[in-house]
Amino acid sequence: MRHLGWAAFLVGTLALGGTFGGGHASNTIQAQVQAPAPAATTAASPAAGSGHQPLSTRIVAYNIDAKLDAAKHTITASETLTYRNLTGQPQQTFPFHLYLNAFQPQSTFMTEVRLSGTRGNDPNSGWEPKHYGSIKVNKLEVEGVGDLTGKMEFIQPDDRNTNDRTVFQVTLPKPVAPGASVQFRIAFDDQLPEVVERTGYKRDFIMAGQWFPKVGVWWKNAWNCHQFHATTEFFADFGTFDVKLTLPQNEVTGASADLVSNINNPDGTKTLTYHSEDVHDFSWTASPSFTAVEDEWTGSAGTVKIHMLMSPGNISSAARYMTALKGSLRLFDEWYGPYPYDRITVVDPPHGGSDAGGMEYPTLITADTSWNMPKGLLVPEVVVEHEFGHQYWYGMVATNEFEEAWLDEGINSYTEAKVMDELYGKKTSVLNFPFAQMGNSDQQRLSYLSRPDTDPVTRFAWQFYGSNSYGGVTYGKTATLLLTLEKIIGEDTMRRALHTYFMRYRFTHPTGEDFLKTIEEVSGKNLRWYFDQAVYGTNILDYEILKAHSDRLNWYEKKSAFGDSSKDKDQVYRTSVSVHRKGDFVFPVDIEIKFTDGQTVLEHWDGRDRWIRYEYVRNAKIKSAEIDPQHQVLLDRDLFNNSYVEEEDPHAVHKLSHIWLFANEWLAQLLSWIT
Amino acid sequence: MTRKPRTFAAGAGLVWRRQRVLWWIYAVNLVLGFFGTGGMVDRAGTVLNHSLAASRLVHGFDLSTIVGLLMRPDDPLTPGPSNLFFMILFVAFMLFTTGGVIASYFRDERLPSGPFFEACGYHFWRFVRLLVYFAIVLIPVGLVTQGAGLLYDRIDEQAISPFPAVWFFAAAAVVILFVLMCVRLWFDMAQVIAVADDERRMHKALRRAATLVRRNFGSLFWLYFRISLIGWLVFGITVQFWKNYMRPESLGGALFVSQFAIVFWLASRLWQRASEALWYRQHQSAVFEPAPETSPELVPADSVAAMR
Repeated sequence: MRHLGWAAFLVGTLALGGTFGGGHASNTIQAQVQAPAPAATTAASPAAGSGHQPLSTRIVAYNIDAKLDAAKHTITASETLTYRNLTGQPQQTFPFHLYLNAFQPQSTFMTEVRLSGTRGNDPNSGWEPKHYGSIKVNKLEVEGVGDLTGKMEFIQPDDRNTNDRTVFQVTLPKPVAPGASVQFRIAFDDQLPEVVERTGYKRDFIMAGQWFPKVGVWWKNAWNCHQFHATTEFFADFGTFDVKLTLPQNEVTGASADLVSNINNPDGTKTLTYHSEDVHDFSWTASPSFTAVEDEWTGSAGTVKIHMLMSPGNISSAARYMTALKGSLRLFDEWYGPYPYDRITVVDPPHGGSDAGGMEYPTLITADTSWNMPKGLLVPEVVVEHEFGHQYWYGMVATNEFEEAWLDEGINSYTEAKVMDELYGKKTSVLNFPFAQMGNSDQQRLSYLSRPDTDPVTRFAWQFYGSNSYGGVTYGKTATLLLTLEKIIGEDTMRRALHTYFMRYRFTHPTGEDFLKTIEEVSGKNLRWYFDQAVYGTNILDYEILKAHSDRLNWYEKKSAFGDSSKDKDQVYRTSVSVHRKGDFVFPVDIEIKFTDGQTVLEHWDGRDRWIRYEYVRNAKIKSAEIDPQHQVLLDRDLFNNSYVEEEDPHAVHKLSHIWLFANEWLAQLLSWIT
Repeated sequence: MTRKPRTFAAGAGLVWRRQRVLWWIYAVNLVLGFFGTGGMVDRAGTVLNHSLAASRLVHGFDLSTIVGLLMRPDDPLTPGPSNLFFMILFVAFMLFTTGGVIASYFRDERLPSGPFFEACGYHFWRFVRLLVYFAIVLIPVGLVTQGAGLLYDRIDEQAISPFPAVWFFAAAAVVILFVLMCVRLWFDMAQVIAVADDERRMHKALRRAATLVRRNFGSLFWLYFRISLIGWLVFGITVQFWKNYMRPESLGGALFVSQFAIVFWLASRLWQRASEALWYRQHQSAVFEPAPETSPELVPADSVAAMR
């Protein structure tokens, strides 16, 4: 998931060409375009994973038969869910997520959006009938038991909002023994909303995410099945998915699975059969206006087919998406571990459908761009990299996004900074214009600074002060604290720690402590002092040069009015540099002091006391003093007070004032047009 | 027959000959701009002048440093209310001096300060009334613009491709800009008439100006539009050059280039004023051209006697 607040940077330009009206998959992109799938039965690829050793403990097996009504934006489906009871205990009550019911005005989700907004909506966003979404269970049967529709009970484990229907539970007459399986057959109807939050439709585009009843996760000896909130995402078990989708023949589709067959039906529809293994979700997309772009990449685990679906007007971004994706595949493979799936689908939402963009599902990601995206604004690249990164942090290392959102969003934001800096330059990986630049690490830091002291990263996602704090802390602070952690343990060690964490915990549900302990294990250091402050606390890190000054040792003697250059060399100065811990975060810092004779002194302070003073007596005056000269302590709230230069340099201020003066003059003249 | 000078080139020449007007107005623009930015400069200076972090703004232009400055509690970059005040002051200044500027161009003579300000004051309240009329005329334009906005939203919402809305936006922008230019031209001529003919009644000046523009729309609009186009082009090219090709460390050069853009922008507006004044003077001399002198017809003497 990625915040989509880039609109302010967009520059409007006129473009010639482009497509008008609905496009079909016959649009060609060089030699790589996929024409619409031919009629009759087509085995597009063998069932993925057939004969392969399972990568995960497969607890769930979903078998879904769904039919899309493209005109009404509804899905009618039946689901067979086989649940293996590997909890070690008899289980009688089973909770399910019904995420689509969040798009009702009295739901917990909408109530929270009205309070503090969310990724695509501010509190005053409009709400119209087309924004309603729902999922209705018409029938629930259990194999060997019968119809339990009447036993369904909506619950609200988080806030007791009885209007919220995003979780229901059903209690069986008899428990399911440990090791046994239970089969649920659920008939349901979806009403997709016009895309509000990740899922829905926009004109002829459909993005179906979280569209089927999903069983909760047995975790830490209890059922974990939270309501859907404004700032939460998802949590589910690994398993297999076999899904049949029946939809109009002119739809170009993509899914988070391998296409097994494509059969045209006499009524103008087609039925696509998908299969996926060792994943915990199934999503799909369809639009008659997509242009498909195909490619492939080969890594340490084999060849990955890349299936990219571009919306009208955005085809110029396809190459940018591809470059970012392949670069991310390569670096993740080298640094953290292999990508084991044989496919990845990239969905480009249409204009106006950005709320479906910037989202991740196992082996399917949604991107974001616009028809006039400038080359120097790296939004398409950042979004693709970030959502691909989620294939690792969330897709394979399947942490609880409700309770520990920092483990996927935060770690992913950290690896985003590393990958983007590697691919696009440390200072230009977000913005790269001749007149302005910005790097990803800096952008993460600024995100954190927008709300640095209200919530710790470990807060449950729906309990943050607001959506801004959730975003700033979960993404920005986690990334920044991990970037700062590199200063303590080293960049290479950090990479090895993440590699170890990935390889050890992929296809499982690790916790925050699992992650932190892995870092300590790999680094061989006790880092609790850091984690207690940065991860579990809200301490603010801010060190400043309080004072830096040189005074003549013989200050009591008058200086000659005309100076005496022969005596200047012998002049002795007492220099004092005071460093102050302004914030409540204790962190060891380096201080570099430069003198006018070219000498440099590097001090190291444990940062525990409130201040420290360094004094020097030498034949030179101070030139500058700087805390953290390597600029590695990104958690520092204020980088401007980290240094002091004895000789004033107003160059930057002059530059800013020229720009400001120009803007003032021009705006004043523009306003005077009315005279 | 004497060939009349073309007003497009003649207007430029007039601005050049009377460049004292240009530099005078520019000086006020510059000084008020300095006053408007002074507070920001002082506040930013306390943060940046002794900090090594400032180098990220000097060698290149790191946007995260700017954002970091904006996020500081002391708000060093945020413009204060004085910023807007000095802009409004400049607008009031321009309103005041328009009478003197037009008089100077219309007479095509160097006006000493006294007569210049006398002309400014003489016409000031007339131009204030014209400003009120201008605001009233802009109301329907504003409503049309809003309607176009709604239509744009509708097209964008329904079209599969983004381009129909883009083309609509471009077309609507052209139409609205055209309308605004016509309105500005109309009021410019009303101001010229007010000065040239000492017309006190602004509704009458507007009526006469409307008739004038309507009857001579082609030549007047083309005159106005050409100069606007040149003004925008030169401004845009200069700013592009400043943004993309100058060294980030440049101060003097950057200041020269940016101020050149400002001066040229101002000069292009004065060029329009001068051309309009010249055009009207030529139009006046054509309308009120005295009848050619003719000799009285000689009548035979016996006819005169017969008349008696």
